[in-house]
Amino acid sequence: MTPDQQQRVRDLFEAALDREEPGARQWLEQAAADDPAVRDEVLSLLDHHSRAGKFLVQSVDQALPELFSDLIAGEDEAFAPGTTIGTYTIERELGRGGMGRVYLASDSRLGRRVALKALAPHLVSDPRQRERLKREAQVAAGLTHPGICTVYALEEIDGSLYIATEFVDGRTLRDEIQSGRRPSPPELLRTARELSAALAAAHAASVVHRDLKPENVMRAADGRLKILDFGLARVDRPDRAPASFVSVPGAVFGTPAYMAPEQINGEPVDARADVFALGVLLYEYASGAHPFDAPNPLAMAARVLNGDVAPLSSRGVKAGALIDQVVARCLRKAPADRYPSAIEVADAFGREPTPPPSPSRHRTWWRIHQVVILALYIGGVTTAWLIKSSVETPVTLGLFLALSAASTLGCVLRGHLMFTERVKPRRFARERHNTGKPLLGVDLTIAVLMLGAAFAIAGRSAVAAAVTIGLGLGPGIATLFLEPSTTDEAFPDDHAGD
Amino acid sequence: MTPDDGHQPASDHLPVVYRELKRLAAAYMRRERPGQTLQATALVHEAYIRLANAGAPWTDERHFVGIAARSMRQILIERARARGAQKRWAGLNRVSLSDSLAVAADPESMLPALDDALTRLEKIDPEQARIVELRFFAGFSIEEAADAMNMSPATLKRRWSLARAWLHRELSEPSA
Repeated sequence: MTPDQQQRVRDLFEAALDREEPGARQWLEQAAADDPAVRDEVLSLLDHHSRAGKFLVQSVDQALPELFSDLIAGEDEAFAPGTTIGTYTIERELGRGGMGRVYLASDSRLGRRVALKALAPHLVSDPRQRERLKREAQVAAGLTHPGICTVYALEEIDGSLYIATEFVDGRTLRDEIQSGRRPSPPELLRTARELSAALAAAHAASVVHRDLKPENVMRAADGRLKILDFGLARVDRPDRAPASFVSVPGAVFGTPAYMAPEQINGEPVDARADVFALGVLLYEYASGAHPFDAPNPLAMAARVLNGDVAPLSSRGVKAGALIDQVVARCLRKAPADRYPSAIEVADAFGREPTPPPSPSRHRTWWRIHQVVILALYIGGVTTAWLIKSSVETPVTLGLFLALSAASTLGCVLRGHLMFTERVKPRRFARERHNTGKPLLGVDLTIAVLMLGAAFAIAGRSAVAAAVTIGLGLGPGIATLFLEPSTTDEAFPDDHAGD
Repeated sequence: MTPDDGHQPASDHLPVVYRELKRLAAAYMRRERPGQTLQATALVHEAYIRLANAGAPWTDERHFVGIAARSMRQILIERARARGAQKRWAGLNRVSLSDSLAVAADPESMLPALDDALTRLEKIDPEQARIVELRFFAGFSIEEAADAMNMSPATLKRRWSLARAWLHRELSEPSA
């Protein structure tokens, strides 16, 4: 098209804008009758004019405040090391995100190091948003779990908002995924359990993350995982009218890579969106490949909404049936088809690894053993009472009281063990370890006290003394020689605390 | 009118304006005006006043504003491209804006595509490209932009509509 034609297109387009809609087209047909190329060009532009909606109407600072504040938050703006903000002294900058800069700082009040997030002004300039941000930080501060980065405080200093959180020194799960090293099946399961347990703790407190992704999960120096930015994700995506950039309803901001279908569709989200993101994250961690990999965000969004997910096993990941199944269920399109929350995901991951260790005959023997010992306790106390009744001396009274106390303690400990074994099998190994030494002490004490009681009665009745010795030796021998072997037979897998 | 008439090419002033805009924005943030959002247009005007007082090499505000709008475009696109490169999923250059799609990608990731389209528009009609820079990147109102372009608000409004229609077409229909 020649410059002259361009000029004509411009003039005709602008003239047509001033005319009423039905007449404009007719008028144009006549006005540009001599040059179909010009006419078609104007018609095409008028068509796009009518479809453009709010395209470009909002200027970039309104449409993309995040980008804009990122621009103005230039390098010269960062706090220099040594700067004091309230009670915090900046050590260095840790990074920058959509929410603002994050610094490593020391809190002089408590003498601890914190990660100090200086919230970008665009997040806090709107009073309503500011209030919501405060509320969400307060809720997040209520979460205490080893798998969640603790929020210490929300500080308002000189009109700016800062969030002080636990400082996690380590690397992100994104770094691990990009390192190219794939986790071994036990590593994968451990990661899956840790993450789902942390997320479950938040869901139990009705806190939804909304922006779970590998960048938000840190592996601390001690190997433990911590989820960052809990409950704060929403401030990343202001609740304002969608930007003018696209004239399409339901426009989506950000990467759709970890968004659940309902999130992409702009519907309300709940814990099940986190469950979906957890599924994507674990899939990516396990295989190194994104389940909805696509060349651009639009294609990816389409795949999240409609695409099938290749099973992990088809990607050459030997994750085991449990991981395969749980991840697949996390990734279902309909929220109702997923786990209701991470609590159920954690349960699913938690149950399998300690398969109820063969509720075998050996366990029955262990239970019988416990009941027999309990009976011996009662027999011992009864005997001591009888002895005390027939030989009323301070010694027999003392023996009786000491035996009562020791037997009560023994009953409590063994009762607790039996309860744990039946009701909370997963904690059994730990409980057994914890009660092992006290029980040994109790049983040996009882044996010694019974021998003492036998001496006290020996002068009166040799038979009574023999019975007493027998009752005393019972728990002693049992606890020293029998119990270790019956227990080992009954719980061959529990060596956690040994 | 093009802002460059009788002056050095705009690009020569870009570093000065770029630095001033950033410096100003940083100062703005330090001053902290709660409840007030920083606006591109306020930034441009304030930068002009400061640079004019410092004896900057342009003679009138119109000239400056043209340069400032252009540097805003450059800074923002640069930033969007840099951020896009960091973000694995935002690295696309052309995005379909098809109306039938219920879903659209991150508007930020479309900035590079818009920049490319704007460069093509510049070759056909530099004036329209200037208007887009003023309106979209510098946040000028119709009246402010009309004043900066030295044309009537009515004319500017029509030309702005034309530019938007043209760009909308460019971004909706991936050109061959």
